[in-house]
Amino acid sequence: MGVDASLVMKRPSSDNYRTGAKRLEEKQAIELFLRTRTEESFCALFESLYARMRRYFLLRGLESSIAEELAQDVMFIVYRRAGDIRDQELFHGWIFKIAKNELLRHWRRERTRHEIAAFEPLSDDLAYNLTTEFESARVTDFTKWLSYLEPADRELIILRFVEELSYEDLAAALNIPIGTVKWRIFNVKKKLSSIINTPDGTTRRIN
Amino acid sequence: MIHGIKEEEWNDFLEGRLDEEARDRIEAHLIGCLYCWELYRQMARMTQALISAGEEIRTAVALQDHQLEEGIRKFYARISEPNAVYKNPIQQRLDALTAILASMCGKETAHKALSVAAQTSPARTIDQVTLDNWTPFLSNLKSIATVMCGETGAHLVWESGQL
Repeated sequence: MGVDASLVMKRPSSDNYRTGAKRLEEKQAIELFLRTRTEESFCALFESLYARMRRYFLLRGLESSIAEELAQDVMFIVYRRAGDIRDQELFHGWIFKIAKNELLRHWRRERTRHEIAAFEPLSDDLAYNLTTEFESARVTDFTKWLSYLEPADRELIILRFVEELSYEDLAAALNIPIGTVKWRIFNVKKKLSSIINTPDGTTRRIN
Repeated sequence: MIHGIKEEEWNDFLEGRLDEEARDRIEAHLIGCLYCWELYRQMARMTQALISAGEEIRTAVALQDHQLEEGIRKFYARISEPNAVYKNPIQQRLDALTAILASMCGKETAHKALSVAAQTSPARTIDQVTLDNWTPFLSNLKSIATVMCGETGAHLVWESGQL
């Protein structure tokens, strides 16, 4: 028995996570903005990051209009506080930390609102319109898998596999050591692997 | 830890990040351990499945051109407004609390309540309220709100004031 060559070939590496050109473009936009801090240089950064921020909020279950509003808030904070960033290399960790804080702030506001407001039954029309982009789209494997996870693990998996953050950025975004990030990712994979059918139909459980 | 292999090492092994010595050690173990071999196979498939699913999500939730243009337009309108002076989180919170109290007991009373809460806290004045003295200030304001607006109003003030 040796290590399966086909599996080794499929091993992910940080190099093949994103297309090189797009990643380079974003890196250049970040560097340019942090160096010049002008409105013009921020435009390129906005084009690159706004979509990612919006997607992050959508994947956390928010409806489109709120996701866009929070993405705007994050971009505004980045624009105003770019001087606060300590390590340029951890820019993505920094911006997703801001996004996480904005999301927590939003949930706190919502919780307060729900505690204060009396519950009223939703009309059918309103309930229909209150679906998220993901609910109205076909349910992908990924969104189904997310439903098996605790909120903190959902965030970790989104940041790693959708937003492709490095372990260093993940540690900065989540404020935990890199070793803990790796430990948690491994355990999430193990958990998912034990409860879902893998692509080739394997259903054997690992305890 | 599974058979002497830490979870972090498993993770790095699956992603091809381990140094040669550690990789050789794990590969040698996999040859003789059916349990770990099976775990490796499942973890490798799961990793690949997550990467593929992540790509699918990125494609499915790509921003349309008109959405990006709208986003840029809104953003630049926001930063170019003459009154778009950046407010720090404390000022934002103070404004929000004033608005909440004003809706229950009027604007003037709301301002007074905030001033009194600051005076009786380490901040001493509303201008001196900072992150460091925020909690005692908010606690004072909650007490004042309890008298003015009742428990529900005070709870709303307390929750809305959380930074």
